Amino acid sequence: MLVSAVTLGCALLLGQVETPEATVPEAPPQEEAPRTEERQEAVPAPPAEVVATPVPKVWDLQVPVPGADSPRQPFDRPVLCVSLPPTPAVPSGEWRARCDESKKECLVTPTWELDAEGHETGQRLARVNGCYDMLSPEVARGYRLVPAIAEAPPGWYRDERGRVLQYNFDLHRRIRVGGAWAPRWLHETSGRDDRVRVDFGVDLEWPGDTGRLHRMTLLDAELYLGDASSFDATLLRYDFRSERDEPLFRVTTFYGKPRRFDVFANLGFWMEMLHAEQVRREGVKADFLALGSTYATLDLWHSRDLVSYVRVRAGPTLERDRTNGFATLVPGAALEGDLTLDRDGFHHLLFGVEAQKILLAERVEGRPLRPERLRLRAGYEVIALAINDQPVSLTLDGRGTWRDDVANAPAGWEWSAQAGLRFSLWAPARRSAPVAHDRKG
Amino acid sequence: MVALALALLLSTLPDPAMSCQGRTDSGETFPTCFDPGTGWVLGTALHMQDGDPALLLRTGLLVRVERSSGSKAESRWFDSHRLLVTEAWGGARKGLTFTGYEGLLRRHVDEGNILVSIGRPRRIPFPFDVALALRAAHLERRVWEGSGWTLETGRVGLLLDPVRTNTEWGWLAVGPAASHALRHGRDGTTHELSPFTSLLLDTGWETRDGRWALRVTGLAGWSFDFDGGSHFRVRGDVAVEHVLLAVNDAPVSLRLAATGVRGDAGLGRRDEAMLSAGLTVRPFGER
Repeated sequence: MLVSAVTLGCALLLGQVETPEATVPEAPPQEEAPRTEERQEAVPAPPAEVVATPVPKVWDLQVPVPGADSPRQPFDRPVLCVSLPPTPAVPSGEWRARCDESKKECLVTPTWELDAEGHETGQRLARVNGCYDMLSPEVARGYRLVPAIAEAPPGWYRDERGRVLQYNFDLHRRIRVGGAWAPRWLHETSGRDDRVRVDFGVDLEWPGDTGRLHRMTLLDAELYLGDASSFDATLLRYDFRSERDEPLFRVTTFYGKPRRFDVFANLGFWMEMLHAEQVRREGVKADFLALGSTYATLDLWHSRDLVSYVRVRAGPTLERDRTNGFATLVPGAALEGDLTLDRDGFHHLLFGVEAQKILLAERVEGRPLRPERLRLRAGYEVIALAINDQPVSLTLDGRGTWRDDVANAPAGWEWSAQAGLRFSLWAPARRSAPVAHDRKG
Repeated sequence: MVALALALLLSTLPDPAMSCQGRTDSGETFPTCFDPGTGWVLGTALHMQDGDPALLLRTGLLVRVERSSGSKAESRWFDSHRLLVTEAWGGARKGLTFTGYEGLLRRHVDEGNILVSIGRPRRIPFPFDVALALRAAHLERRVWEGSGWTLETGRVGLLLDPVRTNTEWGWLAVGPAASHALRHGRDGTTHELSPFTSLLLDTGWETRDGRWALRVTGLAGWSFDFDGGSHFRVRGDVAVEHVLLAVNDAPVSLRLAATGVRGDAGLGRRDEAMLSAGLTVRPFGER
């Protein structure tokens, strides 16, 4: 008899637990008040059929914790706090619910993160919307309760334990510190300069008016240590790109029926302030300080969100030759590209060709009156891992420079291949980051 | 002769139903008619003078105004103003011409007549429009001649127009002109006067849509130095413009021009012939 009673009790209990979904039992209601008294009863009076149902005295519902295949809470419904009967896994009984009124269904998730064994920890769910309203147990009994994984912000992923991790990174918004092995070969010499590069910079990006994107880099610095140590640093670099709705040129032809052909050109602006460069070649050192550069840019192509582009830019630079002590005007032109190759911002490709000619220089022994520079660069950066949601990326760079602006140093090419790691702070999710679904993104 | 010219001109008159607006597939409109006498001229051309090719740059402001006479009924004024027109060319024979102002003010009346007030007043038909041709501050500088310049301080022409069109796109004005000029050379500055002893021609023809324009000007006559001596000179200019396309509603034209001078070129009063062919863009030149 005792065995039968226990068996019947277990059967009834199991009958109330639906895995992975749980239904409201037929047992009498339990007069249970919200655990957090400041929460208010946000859900209005229960529907008629729920009210009409006899409320059981005891609610011994056992909702299981979500698993890897559990559904995810949607963003578009309000979050409600709900107190459910304690279970071994969730002894606090604190759950969050997002309910679908039409289906009479609530996706519920524990308010606390779970440990590896599936028991709640003392760590609240991170990066979730707070629940300020309470779903009363009486009303909750009218809904089907389905264990679910809590929502995660765009660009973030939450696992079944409720832990959240970032999988989408915007490397145009970051504070970066990196290092690389950066040997250099001079075309005129057979030797190699063994150098390492330390780099730093603060990258900012923000959308402007419709169809405009601003980008700024502060304190962009590359320090080369080892043989022929040198540096290249810029205090501020700023540019904007735009997507014009209006054509730049409207060309009308009159042969035959007059026709108008619209020529679109996406113009932008690029500037630098205080760009210092120290060059060493063949034991000769030269220092240049570009006080200001203003370039006009023309996008040959850009992505819909303006983040990736291929463009040309041209303009003048006012530069001071600190080695020889005079100011020069340096017109330049460049073809360059910055491509983010994947949706989640893991792969980045950079390339550029830039030519400069130094004008208004005074005559200096051992160099031409109007020296020239040509710089080539191609680089690739890929995020290898993230530590505490801060990405660590692998950088590969190939650079070539031809210049004859260093007095008493032979004109010619220098080549450098660079490989290193870069640690990025901040790096929030990209503005285009999707909301995670069952799989990431 | 007049009737023939009139017939030719009338043959180019517009189709009243002609539209000066095109329409894109998206419904936007754009101008298809242009006013060759209005806009800011910016042009470049290949300039050929005495076998020497050179690059020529040209700029100036053109304004054309049509208005009713405030004092005379049934009378309209067609005024063409050219301001700060400058042409400069390089090559072996560098030179520059600059005209501060040049205008042709033509008054059209529907029924021209002359009132003879001797005895009983009588109206005699007068088959001409009258026009006033003005020019001020016309400078010529020829670098290859050395220092010196020629400055026509002012010129006025009292012209008659037998074609008498009541539109701005055709005129034929001819009549006597008076002018004063300064010639500054190594030996100092001399004054030169032409007291209506020159004949001035200013004629033009344009299609209604403004895509073709022809202008011919000419001057022939005698000028006199203040300290004695006279000089006969002839000068003629022909220019044809054809609008090839428009960029941002500014017409871009092919311009062919020829100039012939006899006894009036530069300080040396030389004979000269010049040809030029080039492109001209005229912002704000829509009709």
